[in-house]
Amino acid sequence: MKTTFKLFAAMFAFTALVACSEDEPESPVIPNEEELITTLKWQLVSQDEQDTLNFLFRDLDGDGGNAPLVETSDLKANTSYNARISLLNELENPVEDITLEVAAEAEDHQFFYESNLSGLSLSYADSDLNGKPVGILSTITTTDESSGNLSITLLHMPDKFANGVEAGDRTAAGGETDISVSFTINVKP
Amino acid sequence: MLNLKQLFFFLVFFAASSLLAQDCQLKVSGIIYDIKSQQVIADANVYSKDRREGTISNREGFFEINNLCGGELHLFISHIGCSPRSVFINLTADTNLVIWLDHSNEVLNEVSVAADQISRSLAPQKTLTAESISENAASDLATVLENLNGLSSLGNGAKISKPVVQGLYGNRLSLINNGVVHSGQQWGSDHAPEIDPLMAGSLSVLKGSAAIEYMGSSLGSVILVEPRAMPTDPHVHGAAQYFFESNGRGQVINAQIEQKAAGLSWRFAGSLKKSGDQKTATYYLRNTGREEANAVLQLEKRYAKKWQTKLYYSLNTSKLGLLRGSQIGNLSDLQLALEQTEPFFTEDDFSYRIESPRQQVQHHLLKASQLFSMDKNRGFELNYAWQLNVRQEFDIRRADRGDTPALSLAENNHFWELKYHSQSGKGWHWQSALQYNLRDNYNVPETGILPLVPDYINREWGAYFRAYKQWSKWAIDLGARADYILQNVAAISITAPRELVRYRNEFLNPKASLALAYEFSHDLKTNLNLGYSQRNPAINELYSNGLHQGVSGIEEGDPNLKEEQSFKSSIDLSYQPNEHWNFEALAFIQPINNFIYLQPQDELRLTIRGAFPVFKYEQSNALLRGLELQANFDPRGPLRVDANYSYLRGDNQEEKIPLVFMPANRIFAALNYELPSWGAWEKLEFQVSNRFIFEQKHLWASQDFVAPPPSYNLVAVKASAERQIANNRWHFFVKVDNLFNVAYRDYLNRQRYFADDLGINISVGLGLKF
Repeated sequence: MKTTFKLFAAMFAFTALVACSEDEPESPVIPNEEELITTLKWQLVSQDEQDTLNFLFRDLDGDGGNAPLVETSDLKANTSYNARISLLNELENPVEDITLEVAAEAEDHQFFYESNLSGLSLSYADSDLNGKPVGILSTITTTDESSGNLSITLLHMPDKFANGVEAGDRTAAGGETDISVSFTINVKP
Repeated sequence: MLNLKQLFFFLVFFAASSLLAQDCQLKVSGIIYDIKSQQVIADANVYSKDRREGTISNREGFFEINNLCGGELHLFISHIGCSPRSVFINLTADTNLVIWLDHSNEVLNEVSVAADQISRSLAPQKTLTAESISENAASDLATVLENLNGLSSLGNGAKISKPVVQGLYGNRLSLINNGVVHSGQQWGSDHAPEIDPLMAGSLSVLKGSAAIEYMGSSLGSVILVEPRAMPTDPHVHGAAQYFFESNGRGQVINAQIEQKAAGLSWRFAGSLKKSGDQKTATYYLRNTGREEANAVLQLEKRYAKKWQTKLYYSLNTSKLGLLRGSQIGNLSDLQLALEQTEPFFTEDDFSYRIESPRQQVQHHLLKASQLFSMDKNRGFELNYAWQLNVRQEFDIRRADRGDTPALSLAENNHFWELKYHSQSGKGWHWQSALQYNLRDNYNVPETGILPLVPDYINREWGAYFRAYKQWSKWAIDLGARADYILQNVAAISITAPRELVRYRNEFLNPKASLALAYEFSHDLKTNLNLGYSQRNPAINELYSNGLHQGVSGIEEGDPNLKEEQSFKSSIDLSYQPNEHWNFEALAFIQPINNFIYLQPQDELRLTIRGAFPVFKYEQSNALLRGLELQANFDPRGPLRVDANYSYLRGDNQEEKIPLVFMPANRIFAALNYELPSWGAWEKLEFQVSNRFIFEQKHLWASQDFVAPPPSYNLVAVKASAERQIANNRWHFFVKVDNLFNVAYRDYLNRQRYFADDLGINISVGLGLKF
């Protein structure tokens, strides 16, 4: 019994001593943020292949941190464009193309395009295995001159069979937002 | 107090008569007293399991069982509202017993070989016994504690919640599990304490002003989770229980077995729980299932008269589903979710499946104690406790990452304590201790996500003393403690490229308390509690940085935060004009300087997932005050009425705005009908209760995404009875919660943004003691 007590006392003294030598936590492993989307590139090519427009949203440090870089372009009136989205993780080396992950899980993803530009119409130009749109590829047609905003939203796990979702209305879709960016756009003559 | 205390230790004493033992002509008799009021207890059941003989005490508390044969005998003494007692006798002669039952629903302190410790505290204390805990077998700790006046719970969903006492929770409220401050990821409002209430012998709340004896960040109140008292019976005894609840189709199995053999007392207990999707009044809450496995092993050995060793190990493992429709990516997702009448992803069918989002948590507690009493009045105690908390949280993620945790933390905690207590000739009790705690929090690098809280090592050295003395009408309890804290933090920057940032912090937290009790007369008693305490900022308040998905906001810690200072005063008044009525009132006021809270900033920060509101941890002066009232009417017949009310207000005084997440006021009333026996049934109890929760109106519209939900009223009914079948004692109960299947939402439940709270729930339970 006395030995037990001595053992305890020794343990106490020992740890008190150990406690005095100040240990720093080991250097934490900086995570490999392979899932992070740092960059959205949206490229519009006019159907006559005369014009190529580039839109960019880049936020290299992810949520929070420094402010993102946004670049926009002007559209031409009465023109049709083939549009293509690419998502990148530029924090990785080499740069990782997240669009491939989205395309591989096309049934669980959909891009939604919303705009207040008058006369601008957009239609999906791709589909998943269920014949539902994905929205990596789309077609955009302008009519009159106008200016306003266009927003691009990527939903993960939306209900793609819900009402209006196929036509690009996300109201009934549920799911979580992976991307939500907005561009100021002018349609010029 | 001391006298009572000693009686605690000599629960039963024998006064054997000198009559010669004649075969099967022996007699056991006795008187049963209430330990608190010292009044005799009539209508108590006395039953010998081995002899299948029983009786009921008369109006004088007297009972007698005749014509018994000599030999070993177990007596089981029970009374409504009391913790039942089991007494073991080796019968050789006519025996007269004095039996003390505790009618106040407080559990007897374990018998200690060391000198008397200071009685708990003069702070107002409320306790739930193992019996009342088991009637909420499938609930989590915070929900069980809601049965006590002034307590509420805050969380995410019906079974992932943490207790709130007088407006404080999380880092500001310590949970003491078997004398050890529970250590886990306390900062998360959706992190429930990893403690199975079924493994506890009692749950108490001490509404104190400074938790002098405990290391940690409590600003006054503590919740005590105490193990059952160790067995004194040389035979193997045990209990087993099974519960079913309709809502979530939950099942619980709970068993324990114990013995005292060759000086070694041991107990093993375990529980298994499983439930599936819970249901509101009208729809299932998808992915709200829960699986749990818990076990406790307790050993206690006494050597000679002066030495005692105790060992306690508990394991708590759980897998908890979070409502599927509650994972959101940004503010517009939240806006859409708020507009739904049923949450997204609601399904028509019930399921036991638990998918992402979910939490998987494991908690180990190992405690070793060595007690040494030098003489009747002095003793030492050496304690060591190790805790390991492993928490993994899974979100819905892209590309098969659903099984990779989004948060993975392992926290190791080592605690050492050397305690000394003594009693002077003049009636003063002293207690003091040296304490040391080492906490090592580690982010397991498997998530592929920037950690929410950094890795850190937190060392804490503490010392305290307490003194207590009681006079005929007065009692005083005073104490002081100081803790020195050294933190070494290794964080990762949130700006690219990612870099390592190290911090080193030192804090010194003093605490002091003074409690006075005074008896004006036998009917009227009062308690005054005053306390100063200080809390250093928690790791998340200092360094959390980034998007907090759950609240759709960017939270920014502030490495320059200072300590919080609290000065709490409370006064408690109890009045018993006669044996039928009991009134209690408690009022408290608690100013907290440098109160740390999340302040919404005038800024929306743009990310690739849209714009998020920014919240920063800031400090201000806050004021909490509350009132708790209780009335009991007991006409000494079968009927009893209990009622209570609690009121709470919290304000940020500098900003002149209300504090968020303050529990709404509430009223509870219960009508009890009790019968000692009816045919072969014993201890029949019926209860109808009503709980009314007011709307939290003390909040501005700008302080939340949506206004607090309206008031609601819940009715519950309960019936229970016991029956002796062969050698075993069976306990039966049926309970219906939310009897009228009311659809409601609670302000402190984050799930309220997405879905209603629970609808009707019928639970049945079956218990066996052997």
